[in-house]
Amino acid sequence: MSQFTWFSGRGPALLAAQLDRRLRLPAPAPLDERPLGEQRLVVLDLETSGLDTRRDQLLSIGAVVIEHGAIDLGQQFECTLQRQDHKVSASVLIHGLAPSVIAAGREPAEALLDFMEFVGDSPLLAFHAGFDRRMLGRALKQSLGQRLRHAFFDIAELAPLLCPQAHIAHGGLDDWTRYFGLRAQQRHHASADALVTAELALILFSKARRQQLDSLPALQRRLAAWRRRQHALAL
Amino acid sequence: MSKSDAYAQAGKAAVLQNIHGTMEFLQKFPPFNQMDMAHLAYLVEHCQLRFYGEGETIIKPTDGPVEHFYIVKQGRVHGERPHTAKRGSETTFEITSGECFPLAALIGERATRTEHLAAEDTFCLLLSKPAFIKLFSLSNPLRDFALRGVSSLLDQVNQQVQLRAVETLGAQYSLDTRLGELAMRQPISCAPETALREAVKLMHEQHVGSIVIVDPAHKPLGIFTLRDLRRAIADGDALDQPIANLMTHAPFHLPPDASAFDAAIAMTERHIAHVCLVEHERLCGVVSERDLFSLQRVDLVHLARTIRHAGRVETLATLRGDIRQLVDRMLAHGASSTQITHIITLLNDHTVCRVIELTLEDLGDPGVPFTWLCFGSEGRREQTLHTDQDNGILFEARDAAEAAQIRGRLLPLAAEINQRLAQCGFTLCKGNIMAGNPELCLSRQEWTRRFSGFIYEATPENLLASTIYFDLRVVWGPPEGCEHLREALLRQIDGNSLFQRMMAENALRQRPPVGRFRDFVVARKGAEKDTLDLKVQGLTPFVDGARLLALAHGIEACNTLERLRELIAKGVIEPLDGAAYEEAYHFIQQTRMQQHQLQARQHLAYSNRVDPDSLNHLDRRILRESFRQAQRLQSSLALRYQL
Repeated sequence: MSQFTWFSGRGPALLAAQLDRRLRLPAPAPLDERPLGEQRLVVLDLETSGLDTRRDQLLSIGAVVIEHGAIDLGQQFECTLQRQDHKVSASVLIHGLAPSVIAAGREPAEALLDFMEFVGDSPLLAFHAGFDRRMLGRALKQSLGQRLRHAFFDIAELAPLLCPQAHIAHGGLDDWTRYFGLRAQQRHHASADALVTAELALILFSKARRQQLDSLPALQRRLAAWRRRQHALAL
Repeated sequence: MSKSDAYAQAGKAAVLQNIHGTMEFLQKFPPFNQMDMAHLAYLVEHCQLRFYGEGETIIKPTDGPVEHFYIVKQGRVHGERPHTAKRGSETTFEITSGECFPLAALIGERATRTEHLAAEDTFCLLLSKPAFIKLFSLSNPLRDFALRGVSSLLDQVNQQVQLRAVETLGAQYSLDTRLGELAMRQPISCAPETALREAVKLMHEQHVGSIVIVDPAHKPLGIFTLRDLRRAIADGDALDQPIANLMTHAPFHLPPDASAFDAAIAMTERHIAHVCLVEHERLCGVVSERDLFSLQRVDLVHLARTIRHAGRVETLATLRGDIRQLVDRMLAHGASSTQITHIITLLNDHTVCRVIELTLEDLGDPGVPFTWLCFGSEGRREQTLHTDQDNGILFEARDAAEAAQIRGRLLPLAAEINQRLAQCGFTLCKGNIMAGNPELCLSRQEWTRRFSGFIYEATPENLLASTIYFDLRVVWGPPEGCEHLREALLRQIDGNSLFQRMMAENALRQRPPVGRFRDFVVARKGAEKDTLDLKVQGLTPFVDGARLLALAHGIEACNTLERLRELIAKGVIEPLDGAAYEEAYHFIQQTRMQQHQLQARQHLAYSNRVDPDSLNHLDRRILRESFRQAQRLQSSLALRYQL
């Protein structure tokens, strides 16, 4: 995974088997009006070497699946990516991934193929989804030459929309887990954060249903209106 | 690497964090804390995590057979069922973090009988039925837990929860053991014409202390024991005469299904050492005092006999220590609180009778028949070691003048009996509810008038008095007078709706210490901080409720559990409710007695206050549900009497 392949513009060098797997990756399914209880969703959380989406590297992926309105504990994804050129930075204090763990991780192209197969055609959910989307998108492009086109929903955005009574305007994951009395088993561990994010999502979906917002497009429409109003208020 | 391999490997890694975290959570609770790690991992991997908003139904009876095993990860679940009086629904139980449901329905492969609702925002782990069945066959702790039905108190199906919970704490042997199981060997028997010498030879060869004399159809005619042999030898009876001449006729017998407790009580009451087991009129076994007590070395019968024959009050006083030891050992052997209160009452009755007899011998017979009454917990046969005197005297008199004259003769005797009872460890009553008090040494007419006063002038003092005096019972002397008194009492209460309403109000005074949002409501400050009162807050609601309903429906029984049973028989309360009340009462009493034993061992004063946090998880949970049953009884009274 050298810088060279990135700048050459020809995409990364992949093995035949990997190219084959990449070809078979399903395209994201278009969003439809099915009830939230019937929607498969993948909730993910990423640990990175820092917060710069242009420079920092994706170090690990944790994801859980919401299917049939519940988190299926038997369907989980947890993977650390191998990064040879990884430098220990201050962020190690947050994610706690030791250089030895990173060195022992899975080859990034393989890891990302695994992950995208796990995701399938399902929409994605994350807390501060914009960051995860950019990070994952760049990693996919770098390692697989693949464009990320899956729809992302941001729990950090849905939470204040569906639960205004919390009066948490720009809250982090900790604010919302505290508000709902949730407990993350190990914060800043990708899969534990993904699980607690998924728990938040279940609570929020339950609130959405009570507000007659029982599908992803319905949520999207409400989000758009909310963004316009927030924007108008800001002016 | 193939796709499925990659998946498997990614899956393996994924198991680690979240599965592990959930396992750690579950390991704080039974039965998960006893389960094999591999089984627990299997459980978690096959779970889904589901959210239920406040008020949302989780499962309900119309859902059909239960398809999942539910574990509350976070939040609270209430069981709701239609109110017995057909007005809305009521909460019958609460399930919180780490607890699971609905075991009985899942194992019974049926629908739940109770609607389960999220009482607040709740997350549940759901294990599918096939995965549960697989684990059920693999994991002993899970199977034991499910079959023992710890949640069955909640389901109100199994009434034996506490008994079994207690059994597991103590030894395997319990007083609930079937007599048929205790009498292992074939009974030794002979025909009535057998010579005494032959019969004794048989007993000697077989190493037994008794022989049963039977007819050709094996129906017991009599029993001959070593005690009888002693007497025969002392009297110089001929050894060649038929044993029928020397046997005790019509020996006492029980069916083999009766419990060890039944036999112990029979032996204590009748002063016998052997009980024949008879089924279809055929002798099928003999249980001796030794069989009953060899395992626990608690010689109840012997103790009762010693009390009954004690020659001096001082001897009776020293025997109190033996009673305490007996109770201690019985609790350790898993006897239930009902059994223990029954035995304490029995031994206390023996002591009281013996004190009266000894006092009569010392002071001389007053020459008038009288009946010794007891009231309150003693009257209800619910005494613990921690007991006050609550007693009185009833006698027959033609008129007021004669009553006063008889009273004059009985009072010095009564006062002496009170003092001697105090010497034997029955604390003098602070309220002076004692026979030596002229107001409690009354003729039947005077008692009836006094009771009428309680009923027709419903002052707070009179209401309080009625909760003590209306639980009355004869300990010594002719019982007829007390029966007439009770009949008159029931007649007066029947149809007196005002008095019944006042008693109902009184019965609602003590609120069980469970809150809506917290586990238990405990004292906030002072020496009693963080504790609750098991007797006043836990037992009193049941005792008061059962008394009110019993008196209002002409039931003569005084014991709370007997009252509940008769109320069920009369259709006043539903069998399921009654069973749940009984179970709950029983458990609170058991907890209280265990506290008392603990305090005695630590040389502390007896107290009914307990810090719920000092109990283990299971006991705390059952105690909380027991208080909830008290709440239900109270709300049914409030509904019945429209309070």
